[in-house]
Amino acid sequence: MSMESALDVLARRRTDQAVVSTMTALAPWQERSPHELNLVCLGFMGGASSLALGVALARPDVPVWVIDGDGSLLMQAGSLATIAGGAPARFLHIVIHNEVYETSGAQPLPGGGRVNFSEMALGAGYAEAARFDDAEAFDAAFDDLLAKPGPVLIELMTAPGERFFEAKPAQPDAVPRLAQSWPPVRQALAERERG
Amino acid sequence: MPASARMPAQSIPASTLLAAIHDARVEDVVMVPDTHQRTLVELLIDDPAIRTVHASTEDEAVAIAAGLIIGGRRPLIQIQHAGLFASVNNLRGVGIDGRFPLVLLIGLLARDPDLAPRDDAGSMVRLAEPLLDTLGISHHLLDSAEDVALISAAFDEAEQRQGPVAVLVGATTS
Repeated sequence: MSMESALDVLARRRTDQAVVSTMTALAPWQERSPHELNLVCLGFMGGASSLALGVALARPDVPVWVIDGDGSLLMQAGSLATIAGGAPARFLHIVIHNEVYETSGAQPLPGGGRVNFSEMALGAGYAEAARFDDAEAFDAAFDDLLAKPGPVLIELMTAPGERFFEAKPAQPDAVPRLAQSWPPVRQALAERERG
Repeated sequence: MPASARMPAQSIPASTLLAAIHDARVEDVVMVPDTHQRTLVELLIDDPAIRTVHASTEDEAVAIAAGLIIGGRRPLIQIQHAGLFASVNNLRGVGIDGRFPLVLLIGLLARDPDLAPRDDAGSMVRLAEPLLDTLGISHHLLDSAEDVALISAAFDEAEQRQGPVAVLVGATTS
């Protein structure tokens, strides 16, 4: 399946979840699902799942999704055990698995194509995990998976695209995107808590 | 100050540190265990008023603490100096670029108590403060029980700076 078709399935179900997205999924997710509870993981590859865990532990009343990458998760694979230990019940961990480091030019990931993130998640202690090769099967199973107590990991086997990142020098006095994105999310979460 | 004129670092009772952490209104401690702070780690795990979050790596701990702040909590990151070195990318990318008011409690394991950390023979102790200086992270040294109010002050400073502040535990806690 394409990453875009997988994101379409997620965007159709997105209601009031806080969502952390990273790497190649970040821009297409923002386009598909603009929302006051969108957080970005940019400039600290591998940290999306941990940032999302913190939000989930702070606000167990708010469902939290993280749209992670395969290379990103490998950089912080221990986060699977950390998340399982934290046991956030409304935590959905999506892994876009295309087997390459797409943003740097589609170099292969370690593991020679044998890495299975859903098995890793179950081995780490996630409550549920599933792997899908096509968007239709994912779409059909998604509601049942969403209804299960978390943490749940869904591994989406996607075809690599051509999303090489053109790096540009930072502008003087520019505010990094993470610094821009999180204060409004904190404020929105606080307002929801106050009712 | 020459090493000979320096007061040796004193062990701080874990109960004193715990009281200071309560005074700082900490709600969560995100930790990777530190031998140097072992007695404090044990008290924190048993404390019903503070939740401990156990991270696999120190850079995870930084990102988890940032997420807790987004969710309205007041976390403290508790790690060892080796973990400071391990967490540099997230300290930069999350703490500094993200402008999160993070407070880190960092144990200087195996520090010679008679020397300033910068004069220590061990690289993990000797390089900790210079690394924080390089990152532009303000830091404070706890060398006796009289210094523990620095923990609360670090939270105020982190809010004021909108960035990380480190508190270094100079001697093994008792």
